[in-house]
Amino acid sequence: MASRRTTTVAPTPPETAPPPAAPRRARSRPERFAPYIFVAPLLAVFALFYLWPALVTVLSSFFRWGLLRPWTPVDPARWRFVGLDNYTTTLTDPSFWNAVLNTAIWLVVFPLLVVGFSLLVSILIWHTTRAGTVLRTVFILPMTISLAAAGIIWTFVYNADPQIGVLNAVLDRLGILGADWRLGPLELHPGAWLSNPGVLHLGFADLRLTNLALIVPAFWAFTGFGVITITAGLTAVPYELVEAAKVDGANAWQTARHILVPALRRPLVVVGVVSVIFALRTFDIVYVMTGGGPAQDTMVLALLLWQQAFAFLDTPQGGQATAIAVLMSAVLVAGSWPYLRQLLAGRSR
Amino acid sequence: MTAVGRSRWTTLLLYGSLTVLAVIWLVPALSSLMIATLPLSQTRDGWWNLSLADLTFGNFARAWDQGLSRYVVNSFIITGLAVVLTVSAGSLAAYAYARMAFRLKATTYFLLITTMIVPVQIILIPMLPWFRTLGLNAGPQEYLGIALVHTAFGAGWAIFMLGAFFAQIPEDLLEAARIDGAGWFDVFRRIALPLALPGIVSFAIIDFVFVWNDLLLALTLLDRAHQPLTVGLANLQTPHLAQEDLVAAGTIMAILPPLLLFAALNRFYVRGLFAGATKG
Repeated sequence: MASRRTTTVAPTPPETAPPPAAPRRARSRPERFAPYIFVAPLLAVFALFYLWPALVTVLSSFFRWGLLRPWTPVDPARWRFVGLDNYTTTLTDPSFWNAVLNTAIWLVVFPLLVVGFSLLVSILIWHTTRAGTVLRTVFILPMTISLAAAGIIWTFVYNADPQIGVLNAVLDRLGILGADWRLGPLELHPGAWLSNPGVLHLGFADLRLTNLALIVPAFWAFTGFGVITITAGLTAVPYELVEAAKVDGANAWQTARHILVPALRRPLVVVGVVSVIFALRTFDIVYVMTGGGPAQDTMVLALLLWQQAFAFLDTPQGGQATAIAVLMSAVLVAGSWPYLRQLLAGRSR
Repeated sequence: MTAVGRSRWTTLLLYGSLTVLAVIWLVPALSSLMIATLPLSQTRDGWWNLSLADLTFGNFARAWDQGLSRYVVNSFIITGLAVVLTVSAGSLAAYAYARMAFRLKATTYFLLITTMIVPVQIILIPMLPWFRTLGLNAGPQEYLGIALVHTAFGAGWAIFMLGAFFAQIPEDLLEAARIDGAGWFDVFRRIALPLALPGIVSFAIIDFVFVWNDLLLALTLLDRAHQPLTVGLANLQTPHLAQEDLVAAGTIMAILPPLLLFAALNRFYVRGLFAGATKG
């Protein structure tokens, strides 16, 4: 789902205030327990509804089971320990690798689109003298729309019937609706957005462009986060610096390249990291728009494991689903480790 | 921003490109709004050929009557409950993480923060049997169950964001109250909570938007009678059924509450900043 998108609107990470230096009077007994009472409710909910189920997920990935007979930690009589079988089965399963390929398309294209476009729009708006707020609002607003709703909004846009779908109405006017193009390894069918808009044949793999048709709505909904974050970073750049560069004869591109982008390193990294996390967790848009289809063309990891665990009751693939969940989480935590460390370091700064 | 020595052409290019992009950005939402407010026959004939006389709210009424009302009510119950739980448990804990020293602080902070990164799927699979064990799998308890999962998954954001607001409170204020003999809880309730209130409200609104927009948890954990609007929309969205009008109307209904809250959030931020400036 949407990661909580408005993250970096919040100020810097909490800085731990030093504990009161020398207590002026001996702390009474309840005072000493106070911090534990403060954190207890949240930690209790966290332990019951996150830590414990996550632990069960990890443990159950070493057993064979299906949804009709779920693995349970309290009933050893029903355990069927299979070691790493779920992992080896998953890692040798073509449908897993198909989902990995589609997820990889998301991982590459989505962050590039978000970072590039929100950087462009933020800088353009930064240069305006009028209507900046209105323009910014236009790009930020889709951010509040749920991805499920964004997916539906875009199925209207993509509707194959040129009397209903605005995109195909445009293609129809241009006379290229239903064309069939081949440009070397690239195959294009403009108009068939959600069935088969095209394929990039790479020899060792076929990249389905249908994934791009799903990435666009996510990008549309997510860009607001990038615009907010980068705009916040831009307010720290003195405009005189840009004027000075202009006096020195720098063009718009050189100014952006040598002054703005270096000054925006931090917000750009934040937007990049958050959109990578978002891309790897993608579920809603795919579920609503194509359900992973046609065939398996748009299947991503988050949806594949959900289907293995919940949609097909008759196959005992629960163990494999948990294996995918564990692999995904491991990749995410390992990948965002540097970012996490920075976050935690900032806290005790 | 000043625009010293910018030529007329550059200005035209700047505003021209921004206008084109903004229009492209608005078209998808506009298209849904039109389909939601036009009779289906007009939608089938291209909503862009509309005549204003055709605009109607009939689709909303029919969508509401045909079962969306239940989804809307469920959405409000789940979201309200989750936000109240997350904000109350979250502010208490965030205050402790920002202002107090205690054992295992760094470890538990790290664990809570991982909820910001790890995919929900890591807890999803064993959740249904676990709900059964806890008695949260049927009836109104389902609302509580999913709200608690949202609280657990919002824990990282809660201590991260709310902690930032609590950390800004000057230590002198808290210390003064403590010298006057106020206990920890009194200091929290009388001093820290009112001062961090703008931050808490912003967090509550962001959490509202997040929970309201959730599809995955609701889809997996709730039975039909308790599902929220996002799941209702996904159920409505079947390509074979000719009901674009109802689907679009439902989509607009799903979009509105977070959108209105977001508008409120913007004002709230501005007011908070202004208050800070005048009180100096």
